[in-house]
Amino acid sequence: MHRLYTRSPIAKIMWGILSSLVGIIVLLMVLVSENPRMEAQTINWEGRSIENGAKLFSDNCVICHGPDGKGILGRGPGLNSYYFFTDTGRLKDVGWVGSLDDYVKLTIAAGRPSKTESQWPEVMPTWGGQFGGPLRGDQVVDLTKFVMNWEESALAQTPDEDPFQPFEDVIRPTEFQNTAYILLSEEEQAAALEEYRARNIRSPQEIWTGEACFACHNLEVRQVDVAGQNGPNMADLYERAGSRVEGMTAEEYVYESIVNPLVYFVETYENAGKMPQNFAEKLSEDEIQALVAWLLNPDREQ
Amino acid sequence: MGLQENIREKGVLGAAAAQADDVFTRLTAGIDAGEFRRMLQGEPPGRPNPRLKPHSEGFLLHIKPTYYHESVTRFTHTYRLGLLSTYLFIVETITGILLMIWYAPSPERAYVDMILLLTNIPFGQFLRDMHRLGAEAMVAIVTLHMVRCYLTGSYKPPRQFTWFTGVLLLVMTLFLSFSGYLLPWDQLAFWAVTIGTSMAEAVPPAVVGETVNLLARGAPDIGANGLLRFYLLHVLFLPLLLILFFFVHYYKVVHFGISLPADEEEVGEDTANRVPADKRVYYLPDVLVDETSFLTVMTALLIVLTVFFFQAPLEHIANPQSTPLHTVAPWYFYWLQGLLKIADKFIAGVLLPGVLLVLLMAIPYLDYNPSRRGKDRKVAIVAGIVAGVVMIIWSWMGTPEYAVEGAPSVEIVQDVMPEEGSGLSREIGYKHLPLGVWRTDEEYDVHDHEFMELLHEFENAVDYYRRADPDFNAPIGILTISQAQPGLKKLFWKITWFDAEGTSGKYEKTFWLHEDSLYWEQYGWKHLFLGQVADGWKSLSGALVGE
Repeated sequence: MHRLYTRSPIAKIMWGILSSLVGIIVLLMVLVSENPRMEAQTINWEGRSIENGAKLFSDNCVICHGPDGKGILGRGPGLNSYYFFTDTGRLKDVGWVGSLDDYVKLTIAAGRPSKTESQWPEVMPTWGGQFGGPLRGDQVVDLTKFVMNWEESALAQTPDEDPFQPFEDVIRPTEFQNTAYILLSEEEQAAALEEYRARNIRSPQEIWTGEACFACHNLEVRQVDVAGQNGPNMADLYERAGSRVEGMTAEEYVYESIVNPLVYFVETYENAGKMPQNFAEKLSEDEIQALVAWLLNPDREQ
Repeated sequence: MGLQENIREKGVLGAAAAQADDVFTRLTAGIDAGEFRRMLQGEPPGRPNPRLKPHSEGFLLHIKPTYYHESVTRFTHTYRLGLLSTYLFIVETITGILLMIWYAPSPERAYVDMILLLTNIPFGQFLRDMHRLGAEAMVAIVTLHMVRCYLTGSYKPPRQFTWFTGVLLLVMTLFLSFSGYLLPWDQLAFWAVTIGTSMAEAVPPAVVGETVNLLARGAPDIGANGLLRFYLLHVLFLPLLLILFFFVHYYKVVHFGISLPADEEEVGEDTANRVPADKRVYYLPDVLVDETSFLTVMTALLIVLTVFFFQAPLEHIANPQSTPLHTVAPWYFYWLQGLLKIADKFIAGVLLPGVLLVLLMAIPYLDYNPSRRGKDRKVAIVAGIVAGVVMIIWSWMGTPEYAVEGAPSVEIVQDVMPEEGSGLSREIGYKHLPLGVWRTDEEYDVHDHEFMELLHEFENAVDYYRRADPDFNAPIGILTISQAQPGLKKLFWKITWFDAEGTSGKYEKTFWLHEDSLYWEQYGWKHLFLGQVADGWKSLSGALVGE
């Protein structure tokens, strides 16, 4: 029986140890290359997502937004467009405060109502499955990535290449063409605004209604303020204004309250924070002076 | 004996050594350090054999026999295929449980989870590749195990039932592998499983088939319910069933012993319990070392194959509205797909596989030949080889090479730029696709070797179908490459031709390719070998087909 036990198992154990080492070394090689591999995989799947988005765009969107994404007048606005991607462009006009990525995603998923006053009266249909549209969530994401991939070429466009994009229903403070205004820098826009104000001075009555002062302040009825009221009554302002703050004339007090509303606010008005604090920028100096005089005039015309 | 007495008797060092030896003996369930050293030196055990103790005291070894017949421990007798199958099941369980951490079985999450696994989880791709490779290897190894047992006639008495449970285990392995197929929720998975479950529909009478299909899919079509059902089958029901039958199978293997070579054992003889003393090879240490070192080598091999040579595919997300061209089953079901091409769904999908399965399970009860020697089993061995060859032919018929040609124009574009997978266009990639219009009826001289290769393949494909199809005359292929976006090229394929009556036809197909998309370049270490392997395979298959 000794015949079967003549060999030591050491040789086989060495084979085992050797292959364990091979396995461990290969796993260590994987370990050190994991970060670059994951990065390569990440951009790879981003790229494929854009490819999927391109197919979806060509199947569903080109009818209105154009095969090159530059929009078709009267049908759908451009997406491969400077106006669309620039900070002072579309997002500002529609009052969107989130990111462009989210704006595109939501617009595709939920659709967008008609803007009948603009050059884009067509309704953007609802595409997202969660709102009853035909596309799945991952397809909306693919489409969004495809649209966002235009950013580089869109921001390189000149005004001539992106002609009819800005919404025509947005009132702009300049006689500039919409497109030209959008393409100005922020400083140039501020200058244009200043120039516009100098030529278009509004009357106090126009300001009162245009800036919606009447929403919080009552100018017509002499009445006692009630708790929870947004802003004080102003029918008898000319009687009280001079005595509110020591050392300030009625004119100074009212002027200060328009420009810096939170300095002298009356504490019983809990919603004082709703008073806009940017009238110094929205109104020209002459307009504010006229407004103060008008408010303090007992015989003011309304 | 107390510690103090111990120290008094043997001194501090001696007592510590005795204590250490005691701990060692407990850990090994009965082998002390001296015996362990004698094992390593290859010395025989004392009498009574102290190396049997771990079998009676330890749980893990109590299911293993204490000794084997010397003849069955030779590697070339069993090739350790049964052990390897079991081991692969354990590998699959471990990698599978780890993969479950990052996976949710719902259509909204499943595919996204796959991409997250590949892009954000360290070793995520390694786990997935290993799980997939292990699954395919398990199917192959279990099948080879069966072939080995067939060729050595090991199913003969008293081991008929062992064979029977083994066939059940093979079926479970196939179903286990197939049920995991759906989980990535890509086009490959979705359509393979749609075709697979649709075969159940052919079970007569119609009401039974429809009910089975409905139960498997959870709805008329595979959706959230179907995915959940396949997931539960894959991670819970089938593994538990397989474990149960594994233990039945293994109990029988231990009970009757592994069959000896035909010359040493008569059919019906119980050799497991009557091993002559001079033929016994004890499990400890010889067989244990054999098995452990073998499995360690196999583990290293599996790791090397996973890291350098294998990549689990992931196609586009499952789309019930679009059936990709050339949908294929997993390779171990090619034979079934081949059968489906030549017979109707009931015969090929239900009747024949059912009959084959019953035949396979019944082999030990049908084969009355009282000998296991090869020279006495000529009929059985020839029948087995014929069955194997038929299986291979059916499998070949299951591949897209055989009889699924669509319209020539569709096939041409599929050749150079398929809907799924890479194709030469994606292999050469974004940087080798110059903008412009490229026609097959004109000669170009572009200083880009890879692009010229693509143009030639395009021309050859058009020319091949021109010669093969009388309804495809004077064909022209036009490839227009344009810049769709920064980093995104549009490939517009257009084929025009005239049919036999002179009516013109045209086919158009558009694809996009992003510069960051990697269809061919591999990640991590795979780029070292995988590209070369695929190139070699392509030239080999090209040589075989005779192009």
